[in-house]
Amino acid sequence: MKEHGAYRSHWTHVLAAVIAATSLAAAAPPPRGMVLIPAGAYVPLLRDRTDPAQVPVAAYWLDERPVTNAEFLAFVSANPPWRRSRVSPLFADRTYLARWAGDLNPGPDAPAAAPVVQVSWFAARAYARWAGKRLPTIAEWERAAAAGFHRADGRAEPGFTAAVLAWYATPQPGVLPAAGAGRPNLFGARDLLDLVWVWVDDFNTVLISGDSRGSGAAGMFCGGAAANSRDPSDYAAFMRAGFRSSLAANYTVADLGFRCARDAAP
Amino acid sequence: MLLLFATLAALPGVRAADACPCCAAAAAAAPALSSRSVYQLDASWTTDAGRSFQLAALRGRPVVLAMFFTSCGYACPRIVADMTQIQQNLPAAVRDQARFVLVSFDDQRDTVAALQAYREAHGLNASWVLLRGAPDDIRELAAVLGVKYKRDAAGMFQHSNLITVLNPEGEIVHQRAGLEGGLAEAGRAVVAADTR
Repeated sequence: MKEHGAYRSHWTHVLAAVIAATSLAAAAPPPRGMVLIPAGAYVPLLRDRTDPAQVPVAAYWLDERPVTNAEFLAFVSANPPWRRSRVSPLFADRTYLARWAGDLNPGPDAPAAAPVVQVSWFAARAYARWAGKRLPTIAEWERAAAAGFHRADGRAEPGFTAAVLAWYATPQPGVLPAAGAGRPNLFGARDLLDLVWVWVDDFNTVLISGDSRGSGAAGMFCGGAAANSRDPSDYAAFMRAGFRSSLAANYTVADLGFRCARDAAP
Repeated sequence: MLLLFATLAALPGVRAADACPCCAAAAAAAPALSSRSVYQLDASWTTDAGRSFQLAALRGRPVVLAMFFTSCGYACPRIVADMTQIQQNLPAAVRDQARFVLVSFDDQRDTVAALQAYREAHGLNASWVLLRGAPDDIRELAAVLGVKYKRDAAGMFQHSNLITVLNPEGEIVHQRAGLEGGLAEAGRAVVAADTR
């Protein structure tokens, strides 16, 4: 009798272990250092008559904080063509990693935990690919950044918009502070609206003529009717759109870094 | 030179290869791409004949290149007409050497068949190369050229109007933005790029 009971008890344990293993496999842990931005909508700042008022954005993973100097060092260590002394001018301009002390040495002006800056769109994409990730799109990034600290629409939180504009107006410190120290927003992402501007995958979808006074502005773009803004008071969004439209893919800028994204399983 | 070689080779301990380093150099691979060459982008495209194509295959020729899509009703026909004009105005020797490249934004609708039909409809001869590719590669090429584009809700594209001239090394040597004028200047850039 005792033998029979032990047999049943053994299989119960095996069954429990199988169930536990299956549950673990189904509920895979989130990618390290990333937060889930749930499915939602992005309300484009600039749109013309044919554009929808809202763009659906599927759920995706977003880095909790910008990519740091330490992380970028690991990337260039493993990928010599992306080192400062070797990078092609096609892919990064002359101020690429200019504040680093050397190819493999960020140095005192680029603390390990601070966001990496002076990296081009090509370099950011190459890093993302190497890390098994990608850059977020404008719609994805704006959807994540629209959230406040405890509400889905940050503009509904008192002082939120003012704080964003205050940061945009602040000269960048010579040496950046550590990434990820900021307060997490509703989705758990930090430093979205301060610290550094960031590259997005489709930055060159912003078809704005820089100078409307120039006679050459007409005919610069096919199909781009005069864009209407959804909210002329969202000055922060205008600044971001203007900034993106001013960039070329190989530009490196002292307050422009990046963070990565990844598709979430449907 | 031969005398020098013979003399050096006669010296004890000097191998022929050491005596003639230029021979070893000549046997080496073709010179590496310029660090400014667009041909550093090694994406695989597909031609309107359904063949795989890399931009580096254009190396050695001046190239006039634009991005377009076949459903574009206004600007792209003008861009193609302008490129045709540039082609026709070139001296014959340069015209034969140059290639005119159209790369589509529209990975969904610009199939091989659609590109083929476009070539026929516009009478584009063998000097023209029509390409389609993957969205990521389209985004990257546009980024290198400085072309902005955006797919709208109807699947049409808003885009920069830009014609780019590449030299035989694949470096951007001239760009003509907008839809007005600048053809003579672009033509001169193509002639200057033909460094034979």
